[in-house]
Order: sequence, then structure tokens, then C-alpha cells
Amino acid sequence: MAEIKIEFKNLSKQYKDVLAVSNFSAQVVSGRVTGFLGPNGAGKSTALRCLLGLVTPTSGEALINGGSYSDLSEPIKHVGALLDSRGFHPGLTAMQNMKVMASASAIDFSRIPELLKLVDLEHATNKRTKGFSLGMKQRLSLAIAMLGDPEILVLDEPANGLDPIGIVWLREFVKKLAAEGRTILISSHQLAEMQNTVDDVVIINKGELVAEGSISEICKGKTLEEAFLDLTLRRSA
Amino acid sequence: MNALFQSELRKLIYLRANWLLLLWSGLFAALGTVAPIVVLNSETQGMGMGFSGTSTPEGINAVFANAAGGYLFALIMGILIMTNEFRHGTAVGTFLVTPKRSTVLVAKLIAAALAGLVVQIFSFLIALTSGLIALTFFEPHSPVTGELIWKVFRASALSGIVLGIVGVGLGALVKNQVAAVTGAVIWTLIVEGLVVAFVESIGKYLPAGAITGLVDLDFGSNDFNFSIENYLSPGPAILVLLGYAAIFSLVAMRTTLRRDLD
Ligand SMILES: Nc1ncnc2c1ncn2[C@@H]1O[C@H](COP(=O)(O)OP(=O)(O)OP(=O)(O)O)[C@@H](O)[C@H]1O
Ligand SMILES: [Mg+2]
Repeated sequence: MAEIKIEFKNLSKQYKDVLAVSNFSAQVVSGRVTGFLGPNGAGKSTALRCLLGLVTPTSGEALINGGSYSDLSEPIKHVGALLDSRGFHPGLTAMQNMKVMASASAIDFSRIPELLKLVDLEHATNKRTKGFSLGMKQRLSLAIAMLGDPEILVLDEPANGLDPIGIVWLREFVKKLAAEGRTILISSHQLAEMQNTVDDVVIINKGELVAEGSISEICKGKTLEEAFLDLTLRRSA
Repeated sequence: MNALFQSELRKLIYLRANWLLLLWSGLFAALGTVAPIVVLNSETQGMGMGFSGTSTPEGINAVFANAAGGYLFALIMGILIMTNEFRHGTAVGTFLVTPKRSTVLVAKLIAAALAGLVVQIFSFLIALTSGLIALTFFEPHSPVTGELIWKVFRASALSGIVLGIVGVGLGALVKNQVAAVTGAVIWTLIVEGLVVAFVESIGKYLPAGAITGLVDLDFGSNDFNFSIENYLSPGPAILVLLGYAAIFSLVAMRTTLRRDLD
């Protein structure tokens, strides 16, 4: 049965002069891939950062399994996250970066080679990440997100920098995870790609919820791109 | 907590920059004792600074007090432990694994205390051995006593722990790595030295002044205007140093607990 795994409840985040997220509410359920879509600056990353306890909401809340991220014990065993910031040290190798993360949550190192193989970074295991391409960094971030074998994945533009093969691989990968009953929340700009990947869609614009529903409800026979442009342009006009 | 501390240790050990810093501290330490031995025994007899040569206990004291002088490296180590997280965006990963930021901070403070201790003990050992080796070229000299070695070791170890912790606090406050390290270097090498030398009433309470008090060795120099009497005695000096550790731990906690991360 699909359960509500992630819930934004009247979430607002005010930076000095920008209301990045405004009274935003949405739900994400298990066993499905949910696309989190919106124009640049819409507030996607901010909402996800609130969800992960990195940013303190001005009001409202963002919940995982009904509680806050920071109340989870050993959170990376429940939630894997890939964010748009670099999350690892350039002076450390891929392996060393993963060991640093794994040891902080007492995760067995034997998983690491497996995960590096999964994201096709075996050849770079002992290379310092300083020399990694954007796509390689993205793959490493994904491997780190999977470190705790989480039931929930929060991915902020994971396709950034991936080559076409990588993008297809990522699509199949998240679909497979959702089929296993996991919860995937994935933000992206690549609408054509998202059309083939997601089951549900949450659209945000200027910090506010614009639309929420299954992909067929949102698209109503149009492409996701057309539906998205309709929804976001109409609202901002 | 144990797991988190292990993770912090890994960061310390994996980073080449940290080993480089340790190497530099060793070089600085060796210079700290060898250079004054050479200078004190040069023909000009201490370059007119009023020190007696290494044939007197005061001369030996003046030389080996420097073996506790590498605390700047402990401070830099602490700064790096904290600011690396912001500089490379690894703070996000660190706090995703452990959202309880106070726990992360405690692990960092302990790691920094340990790193500072290691840096200072290493510096102390290098300074001591290179000083002893240099002295063999200037026999006879006044003995390097066990009491002297103990006093300098005590000051090295405690100052390493305290300044490692202070570094974390400073790093958390300033966030910018280059600014924090530059500030620490200017403070330690210039500002603090001047205050300790010329405004003793304040200087004795600054870290460098307190460390000098804790070293507790009389250089016995009349001309150089130095008297250990003007400094705190070891007991109060230790309290002052622990006070700095406490204040900067609080600063680290306060500044990191609620700050938004991007
Ligand atoms: N740390 C910050 N300080 C001030 N303003 C911020 C900060 N982070 C984000 N903002 C502002 O909040 C708004 C939302 O930004 P956010 O990064 O959440 O958008 P986004 O939907 O992820 O955009 P993109 O698709 O470009 O990644 C923007 O106007 C941005 O300038
Ligand atoms: Mg974003």
C-alpha cells in the first residue's frame, strides 16, 4: 500500500528579501517516483533543504515519516539525499569520501565498492575527486545517497551533468527503486526526461504550489512540457 | 558519538594538507631551538639582547621555552577542521549524516583537541631533540634538566589541546578559511606578541602570555626586560587557558547550531 512518506505542511522560508517558499503543502507517497518541478528560483532546493534539516523553515514544517529529519536516528539509513552543492572533499578520493560518510553512521565499508560499481565509478575509486567531471561528481553523490540503503531518496537535479547513457541509467535505476516500494522525490528541469520517469508530479512556482497529482492528471493528454509551461506561465502572467 | 569521532579522525588522516602542516610545525620547532642556540653562542653573545649563553641555566631556559612555541599550528589545525566543511561544502554531508549539530560539534572539538595535542607533542619532541643535538656543538653547556623538560612539555600539551579547540570556535565564527587562518597568523605572530611584550598587564591573560606563565621558566634577563614574575603562575595560567577553550567551544556551538546551510 502506498503510504505518505514525505509531507510539506504550509512550509515557508523567508530569506532576507526573498520569500523562497511560500505556504507550500504537498505529499509524496511510497512506491512511486515523484517529480518536483518548477522554474529556476522556484524554491525547489530550498524546500528540499528544509526537508533535510539543513535550513530552518520560517514557518510550517516538512516531515519524513511524520517526523522531522533531525529526529531520525541514523537518518542516512532511512533517507538518501543528493543535493546541488558539492558534498565531498576534493582532496579525498571517492573511496575516502565514502568511508568518511559511512564511518559516521557505522555503515559497513564492504558496501562501498558495490556502490561505486553501481554508479560506474569503479575505475575512479582511488582517484581524488578534485579531478572528477561534473557527471562523475553526480555519480559519486548518488552512490553516497545510496550508502545507507535508504527507503526514501531525495534527489535535487540528479541528472545534471550526466551523459545520455547516464540519464537512461538513472531513469531505470529510480524506477526500479520505486518498484521495490521505496519513495523517490526528484527535482529536475529536464521535462521530456521526467515524463518518462515519474509517476507523480508536484509543480512549484515562486515558492507556491501550482499543481499536484499523477502525471496523467497533470498532463491531460498534453506533454509534460506543455502542461508545465501552461501552469507556470499562466500563473505568473 | 564514537562513530562520529572516527569519521572526524578519518578526515584528519586522509587530508594531505594536514600532514604538510605537521611537517611545517616540525621545521618551525627545530628552528625555534637551534636558531637561538647558534645566536646565543655567537661572538656577539646574544646579539646584545642581554641573554647569557647556553653555559647558564637562564640561557638554556630561554632556548628550550621555545619548544612550546608551535601552538599556532595547533590553532590552524583547529581552524581547518571547521572551515574545511564550509569551504568544500562537506558540511551538508556531515549534517545529513548527523543532523544533531551539537553532537557533530562535540566530535569536532574532541578531534581538534587531539590534533592540536599531536601537533604540539610532535613540535616539542622535534624542538627538544634538535636543540639537544645543536648543543653538542657548544660544549660545555648548562644541563637540560628533567624539570625544564617537564615544564615545557606540560605547556606544549595543554596549549595544543586548548588552541585546537579555539581554532574550531574561530573557524565556526569566521567560516572563511583564508580569512580565519590569515587572522590567526597575524594575531599570533604580530598583535599578540606586541601586547604581551609591551602591555604585560593585559598580555599575561592572552593565550601566549598564559602559555609563557605555564612554561614557568625564568630567562633571568635584566636587559631584555623579561621576568617570569610578571606572568601568571602555572595554576592560574591553566585556568585562563581552559577558559579560552570553554569560551570558544561555546562560540562554535552557538554559531553552528541554527545556521542555514547551502
Ligand atoms: N541562502 C540563500 N540566501 C538568500 N536567498 C536564497 C538562498 N537560497 C535560495 N535563495 C533564493 O530563494 C529562491 C529559491 O531558490 P531555490 O534555490 O530554492 O530555487 P530552485 O527552485 O532550486 O531553483 P533552480 O531550479 O535554479 O535550482 C531564489 O530566489 C533564491 O535566490
Ligand atoms: Mg535548485
